[in-house]
Amino acid sequence: MARTVGIDLGTTNSLVAYVDPQTGEPKCISGPNGSSLCPSVVSLDPDGSIVVGEPARRRLLTQPERTVYSVKRLMGRGVADIQDELKLFPFRIDPTSKNVIRVRLGDKFFTAPEISSFILRELKNWAEAHFGESVDRAVITVPAYFNDAQRQATKDAGKLAGLEVLRLVNEPTAAALAYGLHEKQRGHVAVYDLGGGTFDISVLKLISTAEGDIYQVLSTNGDTHLGGDDIDNLLLAFVHQRILQQHSIDISPLSELAQELRKEIISIKHQISEKESATLRFPLPNGAVFVQEFERPAFEALIRPIVDRTMGPVRQALADAKLKPGEIEEVVLVGGATRTPLIRRTVQEYFGRKPHTELNPDEVVALGAAVQANILERGVSNMLLLDVTPLSLGIETYGGTVAKVIPRNSTIPASAQELYTTGVDNQTGIDIHVLQGERELAKDCRSLARFNLKVPPAPAGLPRIEVRFLIDANGILQVGAKDTRTGEQRTIEVQPSYGISDTEIERMLEESIEYAEQDFAERQAIEARTEAETILTATQKALGTPQAADLSREERETIDAAVAALKESVTGSDYKLMRKRIDELNNATMHLAELVMNSAVSTALQGRKLAEV
Amino acid sequence: MSAPSTASVKGDHFSLFGLSRKLWIEMSALEKKFLELSWKLHPDKFVNASAEEQETSLKGSSQLNDAYRVLRDPVARVEYLLEIEGMRKEGEHKQQAPPELLEEVFELNESLDELREAKASGRDLGALKSRLESEEKNFQEKLGEVDAQLQEAARQWDAAIDAKAGDSDRKAIMVRLNEMLNRRSYIRNLVTNVQKELQ
Repeated sequence: MARTVGIDLGTTNSLVAYVDPQTGEPKCISGPNGSSLCPSVVSLDPDGSIVVGEPARRRLLTQPERTVYSVKRLMGRGVADIQDELKLFPFRIDPTSKNVIRVRLGDKFFTAPEISSFILRELKNWAEAHFGESVDRAVITVPAYFNDAQRQATKDAGKLAGLEVLRLVNEPTAAALAYGLHEKQRGHVAVYDLGGGTFDISVLKLISTAEGDIYQVLSTNGDTHLGGDDIDNLLLAFVHQRILQQHSIDISPLSELAQELRKEIISIKHQISEKESATLRFPLPNGAVFVQEFERPAFEALIRPIVDRTMGPVRQALADAKLKPGEIEEVVLVGGATRTPLIRRTVQEYFGRKPHTELNPDEVVALGAAVQANILERGVSNMLLLDVTPLSLGIETYGGTVAKVIPRNSTIPASAQELYTTGVDNQTGIDIHVLQGERELAKDCRSLARFNLKVPPAPAGLPRIEVRFLIDANGILQVGAKDTRTGEQRTIEVQPSYGISDTEIERMLEESIEYAEQDFAERQAIEARTEAETILTATQKALGTPQAADLSREERETIDAAVAALKESVTGSDYKLMRKRIDELNNATMHLAELVMNSAVSTALQGRKLAEV
Repeated sequence: MSAPSTASVKGDHFSLFGLSRKLWIEMSALEKKFLELSWKLHPDKFVNASAEEQETSLKGSSQLNDAYRVLRDPVARVEYLLEIEGMRKEGEHKQQAPPELLEEVFELNESLDELREAKASGRDLGALKSRLESEEKNFQEKLGEVDAQLQEAARQWDAAIDAKAGDSDRKAIMVRLNEMLNRRSYIRNLVTNVQKELQ
């Protein structure tokens, strides 16, 4: 069976991890440059190929027109939702896109799930290179506070990357899994997860039962648009203002100069987490150098509003779990932004205990995803995860108000049945509008889907249609209907309000398979070339040994021909041909290998070193 | 979006947990049973199973979670009991003021209006707020009373079940439970509204 991996698809960085079958410990897989962090940056090369990760990140400065980062912010969102981000992020949006945003890279447009699928595909490649076999199933993490559309978009991205998404797991829950395994904790645990673009707080109860350990999420809360990026933006705005005052230079937030400045500011942010002060020196187009000294206290005063914004959700999550800060036995910090001393201090003061930071905050979510992937792959296990839906599910009623049918923090899967009937004779349909959110009015909640429930013609009030809303274990909505008079089951065609339709997905899938075949062929060719090199060297060496003299003339000719043929094939790009030639050379040198081997064995038996032969 | 099956599963929330339809439930035993059933039903246990088994697991575990959510909450539990006993239909909850409260509710609404007006015209809110706060406290106390009455009626219900009481006796208790639920939700709405204005 092919391998199953855990993937953290992050705003800033993405990672892939697996559980080592020998040790049972989760581990992150490193990419070609030796780092386990794959920057969530995608670039479209002028030759049409897709570049992902560190090489793409370098292109942010050289080819910003063809490169995109922080695309997670666009997942499951419409153009109207992201007006604020457009002021801060250099997304080049297709002006005609509405409920599904399309981003321009060079001369092509891509949806957010497509761009995310390129990142997933890159991680899939890392894992395949690591295992030497194909990887086609994954657990992917999402912010706990992601809504239905954002989850569906993530699942679509997995599908487009050629991965069967076994489960979407909430990031803080994944972190708790990794920690639980590591620390053998019991009791109430709070996970504070401040990533690049999202904030989550989850409260869990870790329970030991006869069958094994249960990780039960009691409540979750957060903000899907609050993260380390916002700290960067705040600093950027501050510096921008200073440069404008001192040098009368107005750096447009979408310019290349702004990208360079952002890079410098991120570096300052990292430095000031380690030391008491840091100095920004930034060369300006007019030849002057802008200098700004940051002292820790002033820096903290500047970013305090961001930290304060996280505390509202923290208080709400505790209230929903019916717990007080003192009743939390363990606090876990997740996400790169929690390296900030101010955040550590604030969390520690609120809960009255020192938070856990033993595991690498960048890796912990991926490690937890790997643990869950391992649990699911085996089907049976001594660990079970019970998660919740972060937002209430509601139906629009008369007057634009929302009737909640599944409250937030319900353990998933969760369902609700609603009975519908008609108001006038021979009415043929009932409009149903499904929403997600805590507000009372439909216009303030997130629209998930609208559909028309077909009703057979009958006098008013006679039809009885039961609609079942179900939130599955991924936190994604399913809808079914039943005519309770006839017992007839009905599938409902639901067009998501913000999301890609199934036909659209199919089309993208076809396109992505084209990409995939290119990628695959290229990788295979590289691997085949490496192998060819190894066998060519070995053959050359064997031909130089005295035993080679024992080969018949025919054998020698066959080998020489096979060597020449293989050498010729590696200059091309047809990996299948290379493989064939490798096999041919292998066959041709079988006798030679035997001769050399026998001699080596007898040499060894005589107690002589091979080098002396 | 795919369609979940709406085929109704046999049994109600009580029987799923092996309980009779009584209103007093021991919480730690309920939790233990919930965890025990979760091990058996959760979709995570069926990732490699057939589509049919996965469907059964999804249905079973959602029903388990729905049942636990309802039974864990004392008020939702009463509502649910009345629903399956056919005594309380969805969407037909009365939201009328209980007659003996009419006068106080009238005063409260007046205070609320005054506060809103004062807010709109930027007047000093101090005196109005403290009046509303004391009125809120009054209704909070009433909420406590209703809860106590609801508990008492629930005890009577359980006793009637134990004594295998006849339909008419049971029905009388359910009518009372229903009245108290309506009263409770009415007062709770009032309190919530006041709290919103006071914030």
